[in-house]
Amino acid sequence: MSTDSRSLRRSGPVVAKERFYALVLGACAFLTLLVTVGIVLSLLVPALEFFTQVSPVAFLTGTEWSPLVGDPVFGVLPLLTGTLIVTVVSAMIALPIGLAVAIYLSEYARPRVRSYLKPTLEILAAVPTVVYGYFALVYVTPILDVPLPVAIPIVPAGIEGVPAFTFEVPSLGTFNALSASVIVGIMIIPMVSSISEDAISSVPDSLREAAYGLGSTKFDVSTKVVVPAATSGIVSSYVLAISRAIGETMIVTIAAGLSPHMPYVPDVLRNLTEATQTMTAAMVQIVGSEQTGGAGVPLYESMFAIGITLFVVTLVMNLVAELVRRHFREVYD
Amino acid sequence: MAPDVESALTADRSLRWRRAVGRLFEAGLIGATLVGVVALGVLFALIGTDAIGPFAAEPAWYLVLVATLVVPLTAYTLYARRHPAIARVNALAFVVVVGSLAATLALYVVAMAFEPATIAVVVVATTLPPAVVFAYDRATGGGQLTGPAMTVATVVGAILGLALAGPLGETLAVLATWVLFVPVVTVPAAAGIGAVAVRRFDRRAGSIAAVAVLGATGLTVGAAFALGVDPGLAVVLVGGAGGPIGLFAADTLVHRREGRVGLLGPILFAGGLAGTVFVERAVGLTGPDTWLTPTLLLESWSTTSPEQAGIYPQLVGSIVIIAVMTVLAFPVGVGAAIFLEEYAPSAGPIGVLASVLDVNISNLAGVPSVVYGLLGLAVFRNVFGLPNGLVIAAAATLGLLVLPIVIVSAQEALRSVPDEFRQGAFGLGASRWQTVRNVVLPEALPGILTGTILALGRAIGETAPLVMIGVATTAYTPPSGLFDQASALPLQIFAAKANAIPAYRTGVVAATALVLLGLMLLMNGIAIVLRNRYQRD
Repeated sequence: MSTDSRSLRRSGPVVAKERFYALVLGACAFLTLLVTVGIVLSLLVPALEFFTQVSPVAFLTGTEWSPLVGDPVFGVLPLLTGTLIVTVVSAMIALPIGLAVAIYLSEYARPRVRSYLKPTLEILAAVPTVVYGYFALVYVTPILDVPLPVAIPIVPAGIEGVPAFTFEVPSLGTFNALSASVIVGIMIIPMVSSISEDAISSVPDSLREAAYGLGSTKFDVSTKVVVPAATSGIVSSYVLAISRAIGETMIVTIAAGLSPHMPYVPDVLRNLTEATQTMTAAMVQIVGSEQTGGAGVPLYESMFAIGITLFVVTLVMNLVAELVRRHFREVYD
Repeated sequence: MAPDVESALTADRSLRWRRAVGRLFEAGLIGATLVGVVALGVLFALIGTDAIGPFAAEPAWYLVLVATLVVPLTAYTLYARRHPAIARVNALAFVVVVGSLAATLALYVVAMAFEPATIAVVVVATTLPPAVVFAYDRATGGGQLTGPAMTVATVVGAILGLALAGPLGETLAVLATWVLFVPVVTVPAAAGIGAVAVRRFDRRAGSIAAVAVLGATGLTVGAAFALGVDPGLAVVLVGGAGGPIGLFAADTLVHRREGRVGLLGPILFAGGLAGTVFVERAVGLTGPDTWLTPTLLLESWSTTSPEQAGIYPQLVGSIVIIAVMTVLAFPVGVGAAIFLEEYAPSAGPIGVLASVLDVNISNLAGVPSVVYGLLGLAVFRNVFGLPNGLVIAAAATLGLLVLPIVIVSAQEALRSVPDEFRQGAFGLGASRWQTVRNVVLPEALPGILTGTILALGRAIGETAPLVMIGVATTAYTPPSGLFDQASALPLQIFAAKANAIPAYRTGVVAATALVLLGLMLLMNGIAIVLRNRYQRD
């Protein structure tokens, strides 16, 4: 017995070798945690320095952002609203279309069609964002501008008691939020569709068959059985796609312009037809200006203040997506 | 009874209504799907039209193009589609030809930028010590410590090589370029192709293949001297592209005879293109008014004359940055994936750590790329005090950016290896590392490579992090070392889109964007073919 167990035991060098490899591989994995710590530290240290010179309240509630011209003012609200405008418009495009693509690919498309469509749509997410930005600026803006400006009288003038109202869309500026948002929206379609499709196709067939057995049509099965059953995956894909739109940099830097402003109210459409600036574009502008800011002007640090705002927003959204996926997932056996 | 039921059902107006709704819904879904496809088509069509200028060509040119390229290739494709074996060999043949040519040209360009002598010293110092250990192991019958000894020898050799590269490189720089490419390309290519040939055929074929590579290189050098041209590029092409292509052709002819017609695909494509150009030159036809010229690809940038603007330094910069990034990120990413999938227990403190790491990695994948740029800026400028925009900083920043992508795809590939394989290896007495190295990794390698190539395709287009770490938007010379400043293709697009001369916006930048899109499509195409092939097997 004792000889048997000794023959099964490994010799010293083998055990040492195994330990060594386990340690090296573990170090590789641990590096990812260091990356996160590195990101947090490298953002936090300059950001804290920034907040010693500009109060966080002034930063978060300030309605003017002009770090480079004249007396620098660091109010992040115009940048936040710029990001919000781009995100909302791109979400309005990508979320419904992405879900429709996912339903089509999973429920309707024949396998052959699917095998061509899926890689094609993945290319949409792989096109370099700088090319998208160039495309939006040079090609999409003129195309979208063709029917503009339009003025459609809804309530003609001269009616007693009712103010005249005309639906007006002015011409697009060279830089405008609309074309950038449209292109960001198209770019994130594959994010929505691929994660949603995974969720939809993992709904077990027994649910579909039961619904068909009760006399449902394919439309009923798709909209009333499959999509509700895959809600957690779909919502999580939505959150991830929106988080991607918030962090998108090159498209908005190139096509949406560099003029931060508070939203125009009530002229809502002007927000789309005119230039704006997002948080990401502001960072690129500062780093591109090659100024470091003098004494009392925390220009360099302001990038990190925006950066950490961006990081926190996207981190929270990614965590929410993960939580939604884990906790609201229906488990089928 | 059946007809009654049917007529009753068709007569039901609500059913008709529901059917119409269903049709409408399906049409809506198809329409939504087409939005994405059409947007992609419009993007490629508009940028491609501006870059290539197809409307300038006369009709006769199109006739020649159709006759020499389109008709033969279409006929061949229709034929190949009916025979799955041929279609598969055809797809692989394109991947082997395009992939090995692209990799070889990239290697050549990087070596020329970094000084071939330096590269030769580093490559020899990195590969020779482990090769000696391996040979000693074979000669003495092997021992437990060969694996670690080879690892240590590689690392020590690499460090020594980097240290010696400066002084030794200067001494060696007197040698002709092609001589330096022999230890860098020819010898490793001969050894690698010989080893693969041993696996696919037998020992004799292995030696023949290795000798063939060496012999072909020798003949090429002789021919180049006879013609009076520099044999450098030819030596690299023969070893790096000729070897793999020849081996693939031989392997197909022996092991996949039924698909051998598939080898014709790349030949027809290249022949058709060459035929079109030949007829265009011979007859004097007017081709497209293209911006995608040798000048664009081989010269450096000009801000005043669009006809003389070229992107060679940016192209080389992109290739160098991506190559260094791969060297940094691939081993770490695969190592992390192996740890998380194969080593980490599911319970206990290390298990908890592993699940924390898992969540952390999926979060890192969602961090905006511009934030990685801030990380790179803070680390390389503030902590290390390096100047802006160095190759090593750009490569490391992009490496961190793609690390989560590489890890997640490697994890998926490792997870898809059935557990029976591991249990079989354990049952034979293999240790965990032996199981991973000899059983799990070879099985998961195609999946890992697919994910890595997709990550490279993403990295080559990344702009925001490079802008943030201050990589120069325009450079006039390619980088000459790891600590040299480099520019990259996407940055040139970013910089030049604002040029006031319209020919830049709609010509040179479009052509540059097309080059970048081409590189992205090349990587995605190779990844898709790899994925399809290994999913089917």
